[in-house]
Amino acid sequence: MVKQTHTDVTALEQTDSVIHMQDIAFSYGKKKLFSHLHLDIKRGNIYGLLGKNGAGKTTLLKLLSGQLFPDEGNTSVLNFNPVERKPEMLSEIFYLPEEFPLPRMKAQEYLSMRSSFYPRFDHAMFERFCKDFELDMQDNLNEMSLGQKKKLLLSFGLASNTALLILDEPTNGLDIPSKKQFRQTVASAMTENRTFIISTHQVRDMENLIDPLLILHNGEVIFNDTVDTVTDHYSMSLVTTEPKVGEAVYVEKVLGGWMVLKTRDEDEQAQPLDLETLFNVIIENPNFMAGGVR
Amino acid sequence: MRLLSLMNREVRTSKRELLTYALTIVLILVVNATFQAFFSRYNQGILLSSAYDELFSSFLMLGGFILTSLMFSKDMFSKDGQQEWLMLPATSLEKFLSKALLSAFAYPLALIALFFATSLVGEPLLLLFFKNPIQLFNPFVSEVGTLLVSYWVWQSVFLLGATYFHKAHFIKTVLAIGVIGISLGLLGMLFSKIVFSIKFGSSYDMFNTFIYFDSSVMESPVGGFKVLNVLGKIVYYVLLPVFCWITAYFRVEEVQATDAI
Repeated sequence: MVKQTHTDVTALEQTDSVIHMQDIAFSYGKKKLFSHLHLDIKRGNIYGLLGKNGAGKTTLLKLLSGQLFPDEGNTSVLNFNPVERKPEMLSEIFYLPEEFPLPRMKAQEYLSMRSSFYPRFDHAMFERFCKDFELDMQDNLNEMSLGQKKKLLLSFGLASNTALLILDEPTNGLDIPSKKQFRQTVASAMTENRTFIISTHQVRDMENLIDPLLILHNGEVIFNDTVDTVTDHYSMSLVTTEPKVGEAVYVEKVLGGWMVLKTRDEDEQAQPLDLETLFNVIIENPNFMAGGVR
Repeated sequence: MRLLSLMNREVRTSKRELLTYALTIVLILVVNATFQAFFSRYNQGILLSSAYDELFSSFLMLGGFILTSLMFSKDMFSKDGQQEWLMLPATSLEKFLSKALLSAFAYPLALIALFFATSLVGEPLLLLFFKNPIQLFNPFVSEVGTLLVSYWVWQSVFLLGATYFHKAHFIKTVLAIGVIGISLGLLGMLFSKIVFSIKFGSSYDMFNTFIYFDSSVMESPVGGFKVLNVLGKIVYYVLLPVFCWITAYFRVEEVQATDAI
């Protein structure tokens, strides 16, 4: 068993691909959610998983963490088949769900109960994160607010040093200073051997943190690329006159004019693109080409 | 090591509930023993049967089966608790065993220890106040051994029920046992009728025959009954628990997020 783990880890270190999903089909009863889903995730990135409500973001995360089994297709996560739920794979994945209960005990007791399952758990790192988030380890978990519980589990997940960290709506329930702290903490815990997948609707909370982006729409990953790739080809600007049909890739009426996305001229400076607009562009323009998967 | 960590998790997360249960048992034992001692004192020293023996079987069987039925409820079938359990870095077998071993072996042992400790503390006090002779709970008698063996057989059935049914595990397991029992009884009757008809002719009234059946035949069986008796024991004491444990394990292995309600 140990030999197999070592082989797997060695194989993992040799490849950049952390997750590979091919031709995945999944349905809830008769309702088909995915039919031919493909996904590749590379090591050393903080991926942002975006999609409308009901697009299947949480389902996708559960499929790749082995909590759900696909009807068809192949999935490889850290060179393991997630359906087998091998402990060697599970000890390399930390999943922070959107909602979760915690047992009635002190945070310290919870730490000692769970940390033994993660061989690379770093207690010093955990203490540092808890201090940053102003968490008291002597507090009872059932007396903590949702935000405090999230911060505790996030600290735990980051300190577990797992190769893959999956966060489902991590900023829900966090106050404004905590959101900033969240970004700083996640960024500080990032290494080239780790991969984070953050599913969120709060894209503004994740600005300057998530890149590349994964956009899930109509049962497919319609975009899997960096924001830079888009800004290399397109530019966004605020104009006061409404652009004519075909003049821009995307037009949105905003206060003071129109937000317009156009093909960028070669001599034009790349402008920062806000994620919310980019998401809308991709969702509303199925044929949008930006080096993404389409 | 992981198995021990899982068992530790099981006990720690249910600590309050288990303590409340233990306290309830102690209270019931104390009240019952006091009542018996009081009754004995004012009835010319006539003692009722040991309070501990009767209550031990009730708490072992009923309490143990309910506890077993609830073992997987939160971790396998609750939307809140399932995710953490599924993502715990351990094999499905370890996750299954951590719960199965606790309910099959740790629970009876803890119950025996609790009964013994309660009697050890309570009986001298009863002697002091009511002049009641000391009647310690003795776990080393054959009745306790027989009870434990029966518990292990039926615990396996409730273990299967705990992993098979998504909710109301205990009630559904009891109902399922009832339905299966009635079905097997009817099948047995049909089988007997056919066999006896072949052997003695269709006019043979087999039900009247059974009324005069000497039960000692089954206690000290001879010939064909001996084989039947041995086979029955193998099925009851070995095959049934093994089947239930293996099937329950496979249920644990195949559980996924869609099973949570």
